[in-house]
Amino acid sequence: MSKPLVLALERAERSSSVTKEETLTQYLVKNQAGFYRLTYSVLKNQDDALDAVQTAVCHALERQDSLRNAGAIQTWFYRILMNVCNDVLRQRMRVVPLPTDWEPSQEDPEPTDDTLIQRVDALPLEVAAIIKLRFYEELTLNEISQITGQNLSTVKSRLYSGLKKLRIATEGAEIS
Amino acid sequence: MNELKHAKETYDNTPIPSELSERVQAGIQKGKALYQNRRNRTFHRWMVAAACFCLVLAGLNLSPTLASAAANAPVLGGLFQVLIFVDYTKSEDDINYNVSAPRVEAESNLAEKVNAAIQEKVDQHLAKAQQDWDDYREAYFATGGTEDEWGDRKMDVIIDYEIKSQTEDWVSFTVSYAENWVSSYEECSYYNLNFTENRDLTLRDFLGENWVTVCNTAIQKQIDESIDANGLTYFFAPDEGGFTTVNESTSFYVREDGMIVVCFPKYSIAAGAAGNLEFVIRPQEE
Repeated sequence: MSKPLVLALERAERSSSVTKEETLTQYLVKNQAGFYRLTYSVLKNQDDALDAVQTAVCHALERQDSLRNAGAIQTWFYRILMNVCNDVLRQRMRVVPLPTDWEPSQEDPEPTDDTLIQRVDALPLEVAAIIKLRFYEELTLNEISQITGQNLSTVKSRLYSGLKKLRIATEGAEIS
Repeated sequence: MNELKHAKETYDNTPIPSELSERVQAGIQKGKALYQNRRNRTFHRWMVAAACFCLVLAGLNLSPTLASAAANAPVLGGLFQVLIFVDYTKSEDDINYNVSAPRVEAESNLAEKVNAAIQEKVDQHLAKAQQDWDDYREAYFATGGTEDEWGDRKMDVIIDYEIKSQTEDWVSFTVSYAENWVSSYEECSYYNLNFTENRDLTLRDFLGENWVTVCNTAIQKQIDESIDANGLTYFFAPDEGGFTTVNESTSFYVREDGMIVVCFPKYSIAAGAAGNLEFVIRPQEE
């Protein structure tokens, strides 16, 4: 390849990646509260949730080349975020549990009166995550399947089994 | 479903720490930096690969040395290859071994003979090194040396080889055997092998029928030239065991530029300070 052609290609790539980087940055800043809510609902700890959001944002920019289609930005980033959360949970399992008389710190406000939220959290992690993404974040089952890397039918059956455990009447229209 | 809506409301009202936007910004900055790093690394890697490729191409065209080294690669080789067959470094019993001995691969009994000779020499050398070391240690303690004084004395045993030149038909290489400790010792073996004709090459092959005269004249000239202004030279006089003549057993190798290099071991015809002696002899034009 001739030198001017190589330079032109490089410039084109650089400019396109700058706009991609900008799109990504804007998306991340705009939706940060949502990221935090979801992360917090999984990790139940303010410090861990803040760390996880920061880590996920950092990963997203570092690996921005893996975002091929700007339209898929939400599922792409949620997937990163969920992976970071799973890493934190996995690390926690390795940590020796605290004595039972330990009291949660003040900065961890538990949901007060809503028992359903607590029941959702009591579900197995992968089921709870699907319910949160579907009803709290209001994502489609398709998007959830992409984020969690699970089959669409797996997502469906997990969602139904979760709702059954929560004793919520399932009306098809509301779910998918 | 009302219950779910209520749950979502609670979820939506999760208090957002004021620290969040700061943390997100920090993540963005760090991620951008890491991304740049990664890009630069990838770019550099490609540049280095491209540069290496250019060098190899240029090298093969410009340097006969490199081209002949490439002949060692299995696909490019001619009738034979010189390969490393023993190649290791290890430390054992205070001796550091650094061995890379060659092996000739060719379909001829000459190759087998040479390989056996090299193998024997390597074994001998390793045994001798061990013996020298054991003797030294025994003498050291027998004469009142202590463990403390012995300290971390070590011996280096080095076997290495060098391909001096090669063509499609023949190869000229040396194998050197060295010991380094309180005293050092080095020995070199020379191999000039013709695989087309399945035999050792001799000085006669390169210098013609008069090879003895040609060598003697050239060597004597170089010895005479080495005498300095005070009339001193490292070389012994012929009647003191100095150089008299070359013969069938005189060692030599063929240099890359086609010059013949006749070699005499250290101490053989000159003081040890002169080291191994090499005389370059130009082959006669035919």
